[in-house]
Amino acid sequence: MARMRFLCDIERCIDCNGCVVACKEGNGVPVGINRRRVVTINEGRPGERSLSISCMHCSNAPCIAVCPVKAIYQREDGIVLVNKDICIGCGYCFIACPFGAPQFPKGDTFGKRGVMDKCTFCAGGPAPTFSEKERRLYGQNRIAEGKVPLCAAMCSTKALLAGDGDKISQIFQERVARRGTGAKAPGWSVAY
Amino acid sequence: MKFNLTSNHLRVLLYTVFLTAAGASALAANYIILNFGNISTTQAFKAFPFLVSPKWEAYANDFIPFVHAIPGMVWPILVFIPLIFLIHFFAIGPKNFSEDGERILFYGAFTRFFHWINAILFSLIVITGLMIVFSKALGGGGLIQNARLIHLSCAYAFIVTVIPLFLVWLKDMIPMPHDVKWFLILGGYLSKKATTVPAGKFNAGQKIWFWLATVGGAVMFYTGFYLSDITSRPQSELFSLLKIHIILGLFILALFITHLYMSLFAVKGSLKSMISGFKGKEEVKCLHSKMKI
Repeated sequence: MARMRFLCDIERCIDCNGCVVACKEGNGVPVGINRRRVVTINEGRPGERSLSISCMHCSNAPCIAVCPVKAIYQREDGIVLVNKDICIGCGYCFIACPFGAPQFPKGDTFGKRGVMDKCTFCAGGPAPTFSEKERRLYGQNRIAEGKVPLCAAMCSTKALLAGDGDKISQIFQERVARRGTGAKAPGWSVAY
Repeated sequence: MKFNLTSNHLRVLLYTVFLTAAGASALAANYIILNFGNISTTQAFKAFPFLVSPKWEAYANDFIPFVHAIPGMVWPILVFIPLIFLIHFFAIGPKNFSEDGERILFYGAFTRFFHWINAILFSLIVITGLMIVFSKALGGGGLIQNARLIHLSCAYAFIVTVIPLFLVWLKDMIPMPHDVKWFLILGGYLSKKATTVPAGKFNAGQKIWFWLATVGGAVMFYTGFYLSDITSRPQSELFSLLKIHIILGLFILALFITHLYMSLFAVKGSLKSMISGFKGKEEVKCLHSKMKI
């Protein structure tokens, strides 16, 4: 089975934040929660690079390992999802995650955290596919529709690639070969 | 032949200067563009702070085992301390003092009022804290979400209502030399005889409970406050805060159970004295021998 992956080509990313907006708008993500964000280094100086980052859907994910109620699980295709009916909002996954992917809505009472929300790879959640509950809690299920995630679909420079790991690594390798820099993809060797 | 500097010559000269300047600028621009951030992608990527560390798999290696060890640290306290008290209750039995005769006002109305407010809040904090620890057994979800809400709300209330009690009892709670003696005989709870116990208004056990509940409670509030707002601190610091919160919580839980046993079972009439405020003179003379009446 295909292993779903994200890959952000930092030589192409132009820091337009289109992926962030597409994700928030398309999935109905509340204010204050960013399933995806763009980080820029050396802003305005030589060597400026931008990276669009979200949940990396790790194999052997620390969030799954740390979750005390086993609310986070991994699908067969590698997509890591959270069951919001079980999640208690303890925040341990946020402490364990090296990418800062888990997000928590702030409640009204003393700012109590709600349940964890994170990138679903636009694959919905454990609720029945295309149900109203799934749309409300997790957003769109584009994987079930046979589409790539919103962020990658709208990326104007096609910096953000998403899909079968073998396919996107092939695309990226062709790009790198054409560029002739011989560079490796960001975190490709370590993150997956 | 005489060289005349005509306007044509000037034009050629100007063109030459202009073209040279243009060429030089183009070369310079080209150089700048080629060298603008001329570092490899890998190198550039590694510059992204903490987002993708090369050792990301080791990132939470100490945190993950700790989280899963928490229930294993808590349940022995919940099981073995009550077990010890159960054995004590049947082997040695509670202390009985006659309630006749002279009675001494031990707790004023103000003290009792704040004691019971804090008792309710503290019990709720302990119970909901235990629910969070054993969330997996309870199935997680909305139940634990509500438990966390109560845990948080009661903590905010407790940290305010504990202050009057802290100030009222502070002067009687300062550690004294005779507290060591109290510890050596474990407060006389190991003998069936009504021996005279070295203690002022409060004995050493009560003092430990007082300091753990007030100052310890403040530390729990401080750590819990930052744990409740997880984006406020770096992740490694949150781990240290969680460690303090859990380990101090274990001690507080142990003393909480002890306080419950002592007040409800070990000393007869103890609960009544916190409701009415009066203790029998015989009890005071025996258990609080150094108290000035």
